[in-house]
Amino acid sequence: MFSLFKKKPSSYSATLSPSGKVINVKKGENLLTAALSAGIKWPYKCRVGSCGTCKCKITGGKISPEIDFSYVLNFEEMNTGYALACQTVLKTDVKVTINLKK
Amino acid sequence: MKTFYVNARYLIVPVMTIATILGIFIGNTFAWLGVILFGANTIIDTLTRGIHLRADFDDNGNSFGIKRLQYAVMYFMLPAFIFLQVILAWRLYQYTAFIPFNDFSFFGIPYQDGITGFNLIGSVLSAGLWAGLGIIYGHELSHNRKEGFLTSRLIMALSGASHFTYAHVYNHHLDLGHEDDPATAPRGRNVYTHAWLSHAGQSQYSYNLEKEKLQRQRKSFFSLSNKWILGYLYSLPSIFLFVWAGGFLGVLSLIVVWSISNFLLEALNFMGHYGLIREKGKPVEHRHSWDNDNLFTSWFFIEIGRQGDHHVRGETYFWELDDVDAPNYGIGYFSLFVLTLIPSLFRKFTQNLLDDWDRNKATSAERKIANQFSNFS
Repeated sequence: MFSLFKKKPSSYSATLSPSGKVINVKKGENLLTAALSAGIKWPYKCRVGSCGTCKCKITGGKISPEIDFSYVLNFEEMNTGYALACQTVLKTDVKVTINLKK
Repeated sequence: MKTFYVNARYLIVPVMTIATILGIFIGNTFAWLGVILFGANTIIDTLTRGIHLRADFDDNGNSFGIKRLQYAVMYFMLPAFIFLQVILAWRLYQYTAFIPFNDFSFFGIPYQDGITGFNLIGSVLSAGLWAGLGIIYGHELSHNRKEGFLTSRLIMALSGASHFTYAHVYNHHLDLGHEDDPATAPRGRNVYTHAWLSHAGQSQYSYNLEKEKLQRQRKSFFSLSNKWILGYLYSLPSIFLFVWAGGFLGVLSLIVVWSISNFLLEALNFMGHYGLIREKGKPVEHRHSWDNDNLFTSWFFIEIGRQGDHHVRGETYFWELDDVDAPNYGIGYFSLFVLTLIPSLFRKFTQNLLDDWDRNKATSAERKIANQFSNFS
């Protein structure tokens, strides 16, 4: 019951693997924007959730998709935790697998 | 003071939409208010064409825009546009039911019961023009949270164009400047042809997008999971309302309203990327969009004219979009829209701009594609 009165954090952390880098993601900010602001060379193209270039795998924590991922991600990706970083907002600290060499 | 100025300047459309609704409600010749406002905007836009402003940020780089306020306004526009249709339907009913003329007052607002055919035409035209302007909110919300996306669909459904939301995000943003994007007008096409081709092409894209998604999910095409079908179902209440209100005349009026509003939507698509070319698969750059950002256009269209920045930073709030040295028409959207209505004039106006783009902004591959259109110059 008292969790209702608990102050929600203003940011969360995203730990990237395999690089091990940790980025700070402000509440309401999408993962891609936070990564780019932190100087991470995250692969991207459209930034509106239509190309899939920024996709990553959420291996821990909770996220909130801003758009329906099923138009871009395939069935297997949808079921194994993949997300579009440009349309992903964090609800907790998360762990993310992303191929930064793409 | 700066915060007030930055946020209040984007309230032009909400205020004028309410004025249009009131005009139809008050009746008599006030029913033409929406048309008059559209004309006045064209004059204001032309007069302010030389004034260009940059996006406003404080010394710490923070925007003055208040997200909650701007979003509240955008979400408010859905019931506002619904009410615009309801008030028009009421007038249609009054005309077809031969309601006698009488002066009344509603909470202090005087209005005239009954309406002449002439003023009914004014009501229909006013509603069509301002329903068309609803697309600026349909567009902005298509790029935001799930509830924003749905609200965008509902706003567009009021014009029978719910497919726009999907086509805009999944097709236009990915394929702009290429022949795979029905919303991009190639050189030589006029706005009248584009209106049909773009509308049908975007709907077809949404149909195919949905078909492929449902096949992947092993779901039937004919189900409520089909967003393409659902989009058209969202438009049914408008159809029922106008059929009930005016029968055959109601249907005719709705066709006029939808024709005007869809024409305005596709005219914006037409102006946004006319003649610009991008090689398929290459990154979208600022130079692949036309900016149109004089003061009045910027404020009225909530920065939709900053296409260059928007297509590179699609997630950016409209009040943070900036001048990025994208190709620029140099005149406002209202003024440009008038030019598009006379195709030969529009082609003449854009020829130098396109020649300059070919010379100074196009890659050699893009110039090669542009040469295919040289017969239209």
